Order: sequence, then structure tokens, then C-alpha cells
Amino acid sequence: MPPVTTANRAPGPFRLTEEHEMLRDAVRVLADERVAPRAAAIDQTAEFPEDLRSLLADHDILALPFPEEHGGLGGELLSVCLAVEQLSRACATTGLILAVQELGSLPITIGGSAEQQARWFPKLASGEQLIAFALTEAEAGSDVAAARTRAVRDGEDYVIDGAKRFISHGSVADLLVVFAVTDPEAERHRRLSAFVLEVPTDGFAVTRIEHKMGLRGSPTAELAFDKVRVPAANLLGAEGDGFDIAMRTLDRSRPGIAAQAVGIAQGALEVATAYARDRKQFGQRIGDFQMIGAMLADMDAGTEAARQLLYKACVEIDAGAPDASRWSALCKLVAGDNAMRVTTDAVQVLGGYGYIDEFPVERMMRDAKITQLYEGTQQIQRLVIARALLGKGG
Amino acid sequence: MAGIWVHGELAADGSLAKLSTEVATLARSLAGESGGAEVTGIVIGADPAGGAAELARFVPRVLVVTEPSTVDHAAGTIVAQRLAALIEERDPDIVLAGAGPEGRDLAGALSALTGRGVLANAIALRGSPDGPIATHSVFGGKLITESALTGGRGIVTVRPNAVTAEAADSPGSIETVAPAGELTQPAVPIIDRIEAQGAAASIDDARIIVAGGRGVGGPEGFGLIADLAEALGGAVGATRAAVDSGWIPYSQQIGQTGKIVKPQLYLAMGISGAIQHKVGMQTASTIIAVNRDPDAPIADFADMVVVGDLVEVGQAILAQLRERSG
Amino acid sequence: MRIVVLTKPVPDPASGGERLGADGRLDRTNSPAVVNGNDEYVLEKALKLVEAAGEGEVILLTMAPATAPETMRKALAMGATRGVLVTDPPIGGSCTVATTRILAAALKTLEFDLVLAGVDTSDGGAGVVAPGVAALAGLPYLSYAASIEPDAAAGKVRVNRITPSGYDVLEAPMPALISGTQALGEPRYPSLKGIMAARNKEITTLTLADLGIDAGTVGTAGATTKVVDSRAPEPRAATRVVREEPDEAARQVVALLAERRLI
Repeated sequence: MPPVTTANRAPGPFRLTEEHEMLRDAVRVLADERVAPRAAAIDQTAEFPEDLRSLLADHDILALPFPEEHGGLGGELLSVCLAVEQLSRACATTGLILAVQELGSLPITIGGSAEQQARWFPKLASGEQLIAFALTEAEAGSDVAAARTRAVRDGEDYVIDGAKRFISHGSVADLLVVFAVTDPEAERHRRLSAFVLEVPTDGFAVTRIEHKMGLRGSPTAELAFDKVRVPAANLLGAEGDGFDIAMRTLDRSRPGIAAQAVGIAQGALEVATAYARDRKQFGQRIGDFQMIGAMLADMDAGTEAARQLLYKACVEIDAGAPDASRWSALCKLVAGDNAMRVTTDAVQVLGGYGYIDEFPVERMMRDAKITQLYEGTQQIQRLVIARALLGKGG
Repeated sequence: MAGIWVHGELAADGSLAKLSTEVATLARSLAGESGGAEVTGIVIGADPAGGAAELARFVPRVLVVTEPSTVDHAAGTIVAQRLAALIEERDPDIVLAGAGPEGRDLAGALSALTGRGVLANAIALRGSPDGPIATHSVFGGKLITESALTGGRGIVTVRPNAVTAEAADSPGSIETVAPAGELTQPAVPIIDRIEAQGAAASIDDARIIVAGGRGVGGPEGFGLIADLAEALGGAVGATRAAVDSGWIPYSQQIGQTGKIVKPQLYLAMGISGAIQHKVGMQTASTIIAVNRDPDAPIADFADMVVVGDLVEVGQAILAQLRERSG
Repeated sequence: MRIVVLTKPVPDPASGGERLGADGRLDRTNSPAVVNGNDEYVLEKALKLVEAAGEGEVILLTMAPATAPETMRKALAMGATRGVLVTDPPIGGSCTVATTRILAAALKTLEFDLVLAGVDTSDGGAGVVAPGVAALAGLPYLSYAASIEPDAAAGKVRVNRITPSGYDVLEAPMPALISGTQALGEPRYPSLKGIMAARNKEITTLTLADLGIDAGTVGTAGATTKVVDSRAPEPRAATRVVREEPDEAARQVVALLAERRLI
């Protein structure tokens, strides 16, 4: 039996609404005018673009994922993804600023109390503070439940000891959602709890910034926790809820990565198309050679297919579809693989010029690779989808 | 067939608008095609005698209404009320007005007060058994349409330069009339008239327009444009980009959100011819463009494109024009 | 300060897709609808006036097919408070006389200090609806505004009306109806905040029955004008491209002017 979907209940014509188009266009104009000119330098210097973080804050883009009562814009997942897509079309690092703000805040949305949301959301919505999602460890990547970082109750506090690795924005965030083991004896999925840690604080240290293949302006940090005290009031949900909060977070956050991937692919497609139109060899536009034309057509078809799947996934997840995990895995799988293929082909279309930093496609190709890796590798996405198809093993 | 009326529009100084002489000329040819309908000019104003005498050169009969309030009040609504009363009394079939700001304000109010339909912005007008057929250029000149008035009766506004004004063989009579009724619409006082600094010749009904765009480079660049306009006896026009840059007032803007003009000659200096500008000038009889870029859109609809620097070419044209006249 | 802005959805002139249907009426299916350009200038002014007053609302009044909320949303995202849409199938094909009557009737259902309208539209472009609505509603009419300065305390509004030689300064008691031009200033881009807020703004729908207008007197049935023919314009003669040096190029220009008796 096929999985249950809400596909037949999708309301209205299958088009973006006027508001969605306006939002997309508003972000696109900003991305073209203010973000794109910075993209190459961000990649070269590998410095977090504080100026663009301010730009996103000033234009209320970071407010998109947050509820209106806390100073946000109440954007649903599709709105957030439209913005991530347009930013990433110009600069994947900048797109990730919004995607990570969404990722980090989702545990508070999912597991946080009204009081906790009121405490942290306003400064996140205004962009005054950034938040990061600290789940992965050196030995606990795809196998989330294998985390070793411990949190032990001590009076009104918990004391956290351990380390996290590959944490996007880990070095620039003001808030960290840290997943730590509170009960090593519990069954695998009840061992973790989620805490909001306000940094800097005693015992917390950034021990390394990774040197990455792409997405270089986005700091990926290794974090150390040495007897770090966090008030019990900062525990999200109940003890043992951590794994569930993390999984539900990823169900909603993976479309953000899919949006980043669609944006990167679209950016590469546009550069390749413009090049194929301008570049003349053997007396004609290279795009008029069928082999090049066909590559561009495939790049467009793949990107549009990924985009439509992404938008559909957003609508389904927001509608509370019971198979949200499947939708989010589907769109990230398709969009990530497409981005890698399209950016690689874009380099091919540009030939030698594609391999040097005179054109942005080599950067886009390096940036694209991460979308196949983080927030669950493509293999994990397939696992999620297969489980949704087959049901839980007996 | 009952009559064709022509509204004689008065300028602020009481003289007859040039556009009205064109409309009157068009009315005579329409009458000829409409079984000899009677053409009557209507002049309504505080001091209408001069305008009436001028209009009488073009039509066989002019009715004059002295309306003191138009001297210091916005005229459109006031004139519309007097004209509506005259229409009520004498029932003409067709009322023609200019399609400039004054004519539009008048036609709108008159249409609302009388319930008569409006054929707006005619670029040509001809008679038919079913009444006048107006020709329009719509959608930025992409389409020519012909429209009729239901029952053959109504109001037509006519664009400048639809025809060349020609006086009638003999001047017409002038008759003073006093339409019945009070002015019931609220009058809007003119509390001041401000002459804009460096107010240029009006582009509305100019026979020749020399226009500048972004390529002119700055307000001083419009000096050359103005010199060319003067040498040709024309007016200075501009694109929106030049107006937005503050190089020249909005009153000179041609295009989508500016004015739509139909001069005999349009000399476009440094104008690419984007659609927003094209819609305002493409019906010009002769279009000559001076532009660095031979592939600019204006090359698709100009009669002549000079590829070159607009200052160098402009100065060369200016020198040769001055030589001819000097 | 309450301001009603008359806004019309028009085929996007930049799309190049404007065309007429077989019935001679505007075919709205071939190009995206946008808010008429001149209406955006007056909307911008209305928003600024309400912001300056510190209180009030900007109400959009639109007569259009039922799909119009799509375009009204952009105006709402720019900051208009709410929308009123007059829509009813029989309205399709209405001439300016019927449009004027319908808008004047709809105005009667609203309270306002000012009504603003663009001087004309990019599709019809007659420029007669605004003065007509003012006449039917009995409102003072101030046209071709380059500036609008209301004095709420005195209950008056002052307008600089563009004339061939400068401006006429007009003054009228409020409420009044003003038609405005691009000289009022550049319309703002909708902000993200504005776009998101627009989703919850109200668009009220009015039908002919709500306005007490007989459907037989409007639309194609009651039209006072009719398109009887349409054709592509005569193609212009081929463009002559002159690439000679300035003096020779100028000589060719002057020769063409002389040949066509322009000098």
C-alpha cells in the first residue's frame, strides 16, 4: 500500500500565490543587488559575512520563520524556503544564514514552552541574535542516538560535558540548542535531551573552525563543553524528548537545505545559459550546438522538478502531513543530487573558464556538494524514504 | 443629421488652444462625410471673445457663453456643466474635444453629467452611416483599433496632430448664448499660478520634438537638446530616466507615465527606445535617432539611426541648421 | 486621514502581451495583471499622507474581474489598509460611463477625506473616469496633481496642478477627488513585512446588487462605445542606419529633414 499523503487535499490551483511571488521577488532583488556582488569575496576570505547578516535582519528576512507575536513575520515553511532559494541563487553561504536560523529555532518551536519562545524568539526574529543547532558529534553523525555529550542535573542547573562537531554557525551564534544525554540507561531514543545554551558562558569553547571545500563563509565549528552550567529552565520539553525533537526538527529543516540546493542550481544554470548565449566558437553561439543546448535543457528540467517537489513538500509539511519525514527527505534528496549535477554541468559548459574563479560556477559546484551531506546524507534520506515505504521492520 | 460640436479650449491667457483648431478642422471633414451635418464651435470662458473669433475662422458658427468663474477656478467641471446645459437644450449628436488635460477633464465630467459615451484619444475620425468611427493607437502602438459610439451619439476626444489645422473658406458667425441652470458642482479656486523656472515650450502639440534620454548625461547636456529644438522650431522632450535624474521637469516627459505625442519630427538623442518611452512617441511621422548603440530598440522603429556620439553629431546637425537659416 | 485610492489592474505593459479578444474587449489572459502605473504613484502619495497624519487608512477601490485580489495584494503589501473590490460578471466590457457610475456608487459606501486616482491607465487611457466620478459624487475635482497637501485642521487640500507653463495652485475643501501623476513620487517596493501583513488584510467584495445598479445598464449590454475593427499598425519603413563621421551624418540628417519639409 502506498504511503498516506495529503496530495489530494492540496487547496487551490497549483501555483504560488501573489504574496509568495512578491516575497520571492523582493528577496531576489535584494540578492541580486546586495548579496551577489559579495559572494566571491565571502568565498575567498572564508569570513562570516556580518554585513549580509545585518542586511537580512534589516530587511526582516531573518524574521520570516518566527511568529508575529514575537516580532516575526509568521512565514510558513514555503515562504522561508522561497527566501533561502533566492539568497542561495546568489550566495549559498548567505542562504544558509536564514536556513540555520530556522534550523536552530525549530527545537524551540517544537519542544519549547510559550515562556521559552517569548524569551528567545524576539531577538532571533530581529536578527540581533543568531542560533545554532548542536547535534552532531565526531562519532555521532548519521547515528544521532550515539551521542556522548552528557548533561547531569545539579540542583537548578544541568552540567554539560562533551564536544560537538560540524556545527554550522557554532562560532557566531548567541544561542545553541545542545543535544546531550541525560539518561544513558534509557532506550536509544529516550537518552537525549535538548537545552538552549546562551553563550559565551564558562566552560564553553570553540575549539576549531573547519577548513571546508565550499560554503566557506559559513563557519563550521567544533565546540567543547567543560562543566558548562545551563539552567533547568532552558530544557526544551521533558528529559528524554531530545531525539524526538531533533527528528521532528530535521523533518522541517531539510526543505531549507533543498531550497539552498535549488537556489545554487538555478544560479549555476543562469550563469551557464548566459555564457552559452554569449560565447561564440566555430562561428556560432555555443548554446546552439546541440550537445550544449541539451545540457542546458536537462539542467533546467532537473532544477524545475526539484523546485516543484520542494514547494509541494513545504505545503504538505505545513498542512501537517503524516508522512512529513518522507516529503522532507524526498525534496532534499532530489534537490541535493540535482544541484551537484547541474553545477558540475555548468562548469562543463564553461569549459576552462568554469574551472577558474573568474566565473562563479566552480564556487557553486563546491558549495553544492554540502547539500548532499548535511542535515542527513543522501543515504540517510533514502533510508527515511524506504522506511516510509516499507513500514517499520519486524 | 443633427450637429457636430467642437469645444474651443481656452488657454490661461484667453487665446484658443492650437489643438482646438485641429479638432475644428477635423469636425468639418467629419461633417462632410456625415451628410453635411452642421458644425458648431462652443467657447465657454470668462473672456471668450478672442477665442471665439479665432474658432470662427474654422467653423461656420460659434456659440459663446460668458462664464466669469473660469477666470480663477479650475475650468473643466464648470465648462462641463454649461456645456451639458447647452446639450440638453440643443441636442447635438457629437461633441468633440481635445485629448489633452483640459479636454479630458471636460469630457469626463460632461460624460458623467449627460450619460453620453466617450471615444477617447482618437488619432483619426471619419463618418459612417452609423456615426463617427474613431481610430485609436492602443497598447503602446501595438494595435490600431476603430471604435464607434452606440447610436452614433456621444463625445470624442482627439489627440494633437491628428490633422493639420486649416481655416475655413469664410469665417463663421458668432452668437452669444446663456444656457439655463445653476452651477451645482463644487468649484475649485485657483489661488496662485506658478511659472516653472525655465518652462519649456509645450510638447503636447509640438510639430517638432527633440528629446534626450539618459545618454545626454546631465542637465547641461540638455543645453544642446534645447539648442537643437530652437533651431528646428520645436520643443524639448525627455525620457523618464532623464526626468527622474532631475535634469528636466516632468512636464517634458514622454512615455507611459508621461505624455503621448505625435509630432511630425521626433529627434531622439541618446534614447534607447525602451517600451515605456516608445509608447509615447512611436506614432511620430518621422523618427530620427542618434545613439551609440546600433542595436538599441529604437533602431527597430526609427526612420534613421545615426550611430555615434550624440554631442558630436548633435553639434554637427546644429551647425548645419544654423548655416542654412543664417 | 482616510484616503480612497482608485486602482485598476491592467495588463503589464512591460510583458508585451496586451491584446484584444475576438469580441473587441481586453483579453486579460495573455499577460500578467499589474496595478496601473499612475495608480501606484497616487497610492504612494496616499500612504505618505496617512503616515504623516499619524492615523487613518488607505482604502483601495477597484472594479475588476474576480481575479483582481491577486493584483490588489501588491498594493496592500505596499501598505494600503484594506481593499474594496467591485466585481460581478455582468460588469465585464463596461464602458467609461458605466465604470464611472459604478465607482461613484461604490464611493457612497465609504467614508473618506480624499479620493485619489491616477490621471489615466495604461490600457484604456481615456483619462475621463476620475473627473466623471467626481461629477457624479459631487466632489471637488483637482486634476493632474504634482503635489498634494492636505490641511486636516482647516479641512482643506491644496494641489499643484501641472499646466503647460508651470503649476496652478488649487485649493478645495475635503472631501475631494484628486487625479495624480508620476510627479508625486516613486512608489515604494513592498517590504517583506508589508508582504506578509498583506495576507491578513481584508478585501471586501461588492456586487452590482449591493450598489443598486441594474446589470442591464452596464457591461457589454449597456456599453456606449464599441470596438468595430482592429488591425496591426502599418509597419514603418526600413530604418536607414548612418555610420558616417559626424559632419557627413549630420548632412544626411539635414537632407532627410529638408526632403520631408521639416525645415
